[in-house]
Amino acid sequence: MRKLVLLAALALPLTAFAQDREPILLDIAQSHILPSYARLADTAQVLSETAKADCAPNSDALRAAYADAFDSWISVSHMRFGPSEVDDRAFSLAFWPDTKGFTPRALSRLIDDNDNAVQTAAEFAETSVAGRGFFALEQMLYDPAFADQGSAEYRCDLIRAIAADIAANATAIDTDWQTYAQSLTRTGENSRYRNDDEAMQEMFKALSTGLEFTADTRLGRPLGSFERPRPKRAEARRSARSLRHVELSLIALQDLALRLSADHPDVTEDFQAAFDRAIQRAQSLGDPNFAGVSTPEGRFRVEALQQTVSDIRRIANTQLGPALGIGAGFNSLDGD
Amino acid sequence: MTRFFAATSALTLCIASAAVADAPAKADVLANYANIAEAKYDDSLIAAKKLQAAVNALIENPSDATLNSARAAWLAARVPYQQTEVYRFGNAIVDDWEGKVNAWPLDEGLIDYVDASYGGPSDENEFAVLNVIANPSFELSGEAVDASEITPELLAETLHEADGIEANVATGYHAIEFLLWGQDLNGHGTGAGNRPWSDYAQGDDCTGGNCDRRAQYLSAATDLLVSDLEWMAAQWQDGGAARAALAENEAAGISAILTGMGSLSYGETAGERMRLGVMLNDPEEEHSCFADNTHNDHYYNGVGIQNVYLGTYTRIDGTPISGASLSDLVIASDPALDTEMKMKLANTMLALGLMKSTAEAGFAYDQMLERGNAGGEALIMGGVNGLVDQTKTIERIVTALELDQIEFEGSDSLDNPDAVFQ
Repeated sequence: MRKLVLLAALALPLTAFAQDREPILLDIAQSHILPSYARLADTAQVLSETAKADCAPNSDALRAAYADAFDSWISVSHMRFGPSEVDDRAFSLAFWPDTKGFTPRALSRLIDDNDNAVQTAAEFAETSVAGRGFFALEQMLYDPAFADQGSAEYRCDLIRAIAADIAANATAIDTDWQTYAQSLTRTGENSRYRNDDEAMQEMFKALSTGLEFTADTRLGRPLGSFERPRPKRAEARRSARSLRHVELSLIALQDLALRLSADHPDVTEDFQAAFDRAIQRAQSLGDPNFAGVSTPEGRFRVEALQQTVSDIRRIANTQLGPALGIGAGFNSLDGD
Repeated sequence: MTRFFAATSALTLCIASAAVADAPAKADVLANYANIAEAKYDDSLIAAKKLQAAVNALIENPSDATLNSARAAWLAARVPYQQTEVYRFGNAIVDDWEGKVNAWPLDEGLIDYVDASYGGPSDENEFAVLNVIANPSFELSGEAVDASEITPELLAETLHEADGIEANVATGYHAIEFLLWGQDLNGHGTGAGNRPWSDYAQGDDCTGGNCDRRAQYLSAATDLLVSDLEWMAAQWQDGGAARAALAENEAAGISAILTGMGSLSYGETAGERMRLGVMLNDPEEEHSCFADNTHNDHYYNGVGIQNVYLGTYTRIDGTPISGASLSDLVIASDPALDTEMKMKLANTMLALGLMKSTAEAGFAYDQMLERGNAGGEALIMGGVNGLVDQTKTIERIVTALELDQIEFEGSDSLDNPDAVFQ
């Protein structure tokens, strides 16, 4: 009998003090996710149309459209669940890190074979994700290795195919989110999320995984070790966007963190200060593609930035997680 | 109103379950988990010793028959080993060691001759075609290396992960696999690697050059595998470090079981090993690309996850091991959740089994990866979806057993910010 009483006592507080998650989930969907994916769809559409009008790799208009669309992706790329994972859309938009050089190989293969897949969107969508998306487009626009490989006509077709494929994936994610957003609050036995704790955990995971990716991958990969820095591993280094991606991701993650912690002002305050410090440090770093990691001075500055991101991670895991009563769960960065 | 009903029914469930089953002691669950680890690593060791004997026979008397026996012994050795991988991510002692025996993917040109289509040194790895078998001396990161004698020490201490590059895999199952099968040059076509036995013939019959050094390499790598497995098997015996670490904190120990199951299911097997290959359509982007044994790698990963949850394992000689299980623990707190977990594990095994049986019927894993091959993609993605789906339930168990916050303890980079600079 004592056991029953104890269990009842344990079961009750969970519901009695359950946090009402719905306002926060609605706010994140309406103000954080939906506008970001809408912007990605718009800028990706502009990119595709610009490529149709002018496919020269050094075209200012094309490079500007590429930069805008890539910015939009980085600002929403931490929302890796649901619509972004259908048909490998997110991987098709951005295959990175590329630890084995799949992207240059996939592009070379398409060009050398004069692969007809570039003529049809559906066929191109069947090809390797490494030859599609922003990182493939970056090599076509900025890497001298692809400036004269194959015929100019084929390279143009390939650039247009990549841009159109980016637009198609961005639009598909945006469209699906219109209905998926409702599943965040309409939880239940037969829904994607069994209860709003699970929906909330998804948001929390987006924050913690996004921070982990920026600290360990965006910053950690080029840092390498002190004896062996790896500047060539910096993200989008060819278009000198590496540091920009860190800054954009921090700005987007700050927005998410503040919304997630809305019911816990002390956590919000700590997030605000820690993110401000990290973003400010990123903005004053002045090393766009982290080439400086090879020098002790430059390395120190990037490590200092990484440290500020670690500070934010600590707030997320030791303050926000417990405040929300939510655990870290598993993410795709688990494993090696 | 719905909320009220949900709360009531949850309460009813709790009361009902209390009447149905008493929770096993966590210490018993952990002890059985460690017993199964001990048996699995011991089986891996026994199988590796059989491989070692077969490799010695191949080297002493190279022929088609001895090469085939060595290959068969390698395939058999993978069966228990892949089932141990569920111990990896939850137990630091395993994860720190694992790279010696099962590192993947590898730039095999580091070890031996490769086809011209393999390419040369890459942006990521300037030693991708070092070919140590053909080169008794070379320079590594500015230092001269004397490789005139290929020893276990040379492989483990100098060559493995040379230049800090993970793709420089000089030791373990996959290095041995490459030495037994060679590159699979069939692309998406039929067939695995086809290294001739004469690559080990001494004297004039030698093909591929440097047969004496190739034999030395194979022998050193196999000896190393045996000694590495010996070490790990000992860690799980009574008084071993792995067993002791698990017993330090019972809740953390239970959490380690779930971390191992979840990380292997999701990030590692479903993500890194299966989905990536489908997305890249690359015939060599498979776990055992030389032997074409990838379907078994994934299948036995799945078996390992399932048997750790159920707390039962059948040894390679047929001896059953069983005891208090995580499943028992879940039944005591939420029987419906236990049913859900068992069902999802079974679904995954059904999907992985379909992939395995289709591969065994002749439709190899690298053929499944071919661009536009919808049937192959469906076979692989069936396994991926099962693994992803079961991870969701593993997360629910973490929550149900109130282990949510465990992970936040003991993480170096989070608890001790200075550690990241060390």
